[in-house]
Amino acid sequence: MKKRTLFFITVIFLAAAAVPNVFAQGATEDSAESGDIDTTITLGVDQEAVGLDPHIVTAFSSMRRLDLLYNRLVRLDDNMKVVPDLAESWEIPNNTTYIFNLRKGVKFHNGREMVAEDVKYSLERVLDDKTASPGRSYIATIDKVEVVDDYTVKLHLSAPLASLLNALTSNNISIVPKEVVEEHGNLQRVAVGTGPYMLDEWVADNSMTLVRNPDYFEEGLPMAEKVVFRVIPEEASLLAGVKSGELNIATINDGATIRQAKNDKNVVVMNKPGMNVRVFSFNNEKEPFDDVRVRQAVALAIDRDEIITMAEYGMGKATGPIPISAKEWAIPPEELPLGSTDHERARALLAEAGYPNGFEFDIVCSSTYEGGLDVAQVIQDQLKNIGLTANLDVIEWGNYIDRWVKRDFETMVELRGGSSEPDRFLFRSLHSTGGVNNFMFADDEADRLMEQGRKQTDPSERKDTYDKLQVLLSEKAPLVFLYSPNENHVLSTNVEGFKQVGNGSLYYVTHAVVTE
Amino acid sequence: MGRYIIKRLLSIIPVLIGVSLIVFFLVRLIPGTALQMYMGTQVEATPEQMEELRRLFGEDKPVPVLYIEWVGDILRGDFGHSLRTGRPVLPDILSRLPLSLELTLFSLFLALLIGIPLGVISSLHQNTFGDFVNRIGGLLGLSLPQFWLAALMVMAFSNAGGWIPMGNYVGFFDSPLQNLKMLFFPSLAIGIGFAAVVMRYTRNSMLEVLQMDYIRTAKAKGLDRRKVIIFHALKNAILPVITVTGFNAGYLLGGAIVIEEVFALPGMGRLALYAIYQRDYPVIQAIVLVIATLFVLVNLITDLIYAVADPRIRLLDEAR
Repeated sequence: MKKRTLFFITVIFLAAAAVPNVFAQGATEDSAESGDIDTTITLGVDQEAVGLDPHIVTAFSSMRRLDLLYNRLVRLDDNMKVVPDLAESWEIPNNTTYIFNLRKGVKFHNGREMVAEDVKYSLERVLDDKTASPGRSYIATIDKVEVVDDYTVKLHLSAPLASLLNALTSNNISIVPKEVVEEHGNLQRVAVGTGPYMLDEWVADNSMTLVRNPDYFEEGLPMAEKVVFRVIPEEASLLAGVKSGELNIATINDGATIRQAKNDKNVVVMNKPGMNVRVFSFNNEKEPFDDVRVRQAVALAIDRDEIITMAEYGMGKATGPIPISAKEWAIPPEELPLGSTDHERARALLAEAGYPNGFEFDIVCSSTYEGGLDVAQVIQDQLKNIGLTANLDVIEWGNYIDRWVKRDFETMVELRGGSSEPDRFLFRSLHSTGGVNNFMFADDEADRLMEQGRKQTDPSERKDTYDKLQVLLSEKAPLVFLYSPNENHVLSTNVEGFKQVGNGSLYYVTHAVVTE
Repeated sequence: MGRYIIKRLLSIIPVLIGVSLIVFFLVRLIPGTALQMYMGTQVEATPEQMEELRRLFGEDKPVPVLYIEWVGDILRGDFGHSLRTGRPVLPDILSRLPLSLELTLFSLFLALLIGIPLGVISSLHQNTFGDFVNRIGGLLGLSLPQFWLAALMVMAFSNAGGWIPMGNYVGFFDSPLQNLKMLFFPSLAIGIGFAAVVMRYTRNSMLEVLQMDYIRTAKAKGLDRRKVIIFHALKNAILPVITVTGFNAGYLLGGAIVIEEVFALPGMGRLALYAIYQRDYPVIQAIVLVIATLFVLVNLITDLIYAVADPRIRLLDEAR
């Protein structure tokens, strides 16, 4: 027994003594590996992709992988303009017919050429209820997909839809090969697209490695041989990764971390207001928010810039109903009714509505970024200025969604995914029949304008319609549009060529190189 | 002994039945369903699509029926598919389990390696300055939240070349050295609180034992001081430490869940965390069953070690 005990103690101490050496060896191995780093772009992201089937996934994290694996008929460039992707050009003979001329010689990762039949198959798969595709509502008005010849596709719409081209830029409308879907049932675990990169290895919750598609159709692209996604949930670790050179590009949301990065000369911070919109929502059917004067009073009490400073560390831009970075359409909030704070007028409106002494109500929010707890705290404080007492109802994210679905709230802080196309975002959010109109807002004039804008193909007439709509929505205040948070990327100083699209897309990773 | 072990192993069955019932109904009581989480606040669907989705997410049948189907599937060896990723549940869990177990064992090892020697030293120098520092240190170790310590470690050491995993975790069998290096700080973050517990238990227990007559006798007959401490005192003082280690192994496994998230380690804990966020019922259920099984096994192993360490303890069946 004694000998055995002695033996164990010796083993333990030997092990302890060996530990530092072991680690030292590990370190030398590490530096020997990093020989060919210049042709690999390593991206740090905070979330794992849920799946890779472009027609099924809803998660943002999945979309960012799809940017590099698949193509759409058309895509958005860094000015959020619709540009050719798989379609070389298109014609719109009348507002219910679209003709797309496809690029010739584009190959799927399995070597087969992409032709018009694949476009037909993909669009029909999205439209099929059995696929349960989140992209269906974007293109639901497509009545028939006609294959004219191998390189020409004609879409027939059941009703005019001015936002169709923009809708077709969605990752959810990617073009996929039929035989691969049939072989695997769906595309959640395999990726056979036409994109600049091909799926090489996927280690769940750890990393995903993509390799260059040698047959990619854009001349000279992609630049880097490999793209590696590494999943690092902690924002501080992402920044640390870029600083230490382990990562070349990281997507970071947290304002505090971005502020830290801005003060660091070893990294480059890129940002621009994204397409998301932070909103303060009213349940327009619940007292007292069914009274337009009460909603207007709240809108007048809110100071957008203070919210951006306090809750986002200044990383965002005040916006009205259309995301501020959709420059073609957006009117800045200060040029819209109720766009600037006016406490006196707010109090007068409250008195007029029968609440001279204010009232008490709840703000539903959650501590996840989307749930906007920080924003709710600032609003709570601002509303004190006009005598309103807001209580924060801070709930877990799943609970939050449950309450959202059931419309079980008086007011709520939300993050909405906007788009550079006014029709899609506003119609589904605020038309009385809109799929995500959980404000329970129903206004005949607003409905009329949205229906009109959906049909108009003349840009200046359309612009006029949406100008009127923005004014109307600001006056009726079914919700208060607050700001667009910045889309942030932190880069190491040796990365060149990367650009932000503005809707989160990582398309420009194809243009990026690491220089030494 | 053999019969005892078999009996204990068989006791896993009623435990699992109880646990499966509780977890199955409990996870469905949390507000927000898997389908709602999938849809989020942005996605629209037609009524027909919703019908199809409800079927896919298993929300078209009453919960007791689903439970019976689920148990039936498990008996056939099918733990179901993840609602989020569509992958079979069991292989996903089993592929991540080794990392979580390694992390737990490594942190246990570090905790004992730090805790026992410090506890012994402290007891030998009771009420000196060193003992005082040790005890304050122990109190700190106990009070520091693991995730906070972990976040500090990430900030402090992420520049130090490969010590902090950056989504580039390698398995033990791919590269043992790299693997241990990457797991060192995570294990330390998990183990340090427990090291403090071990230290305090060892110290108290040693103090008690050192008062005993047989220690005085051993010293009196002129035995080497080191031998007295290690073979006479520590061997007897170690029993409470074993007990507390058994209790805490489960707690360390729980710690691994949070720490895996901070250090971006692809273990079972992170899988559990995402499954809970996303209400991925089949994954949550299977993970809880796996953890429950581990708990029963750890308790069994503790009892066996206990019997080995203290010959006076006879396991129940042998005595009869």
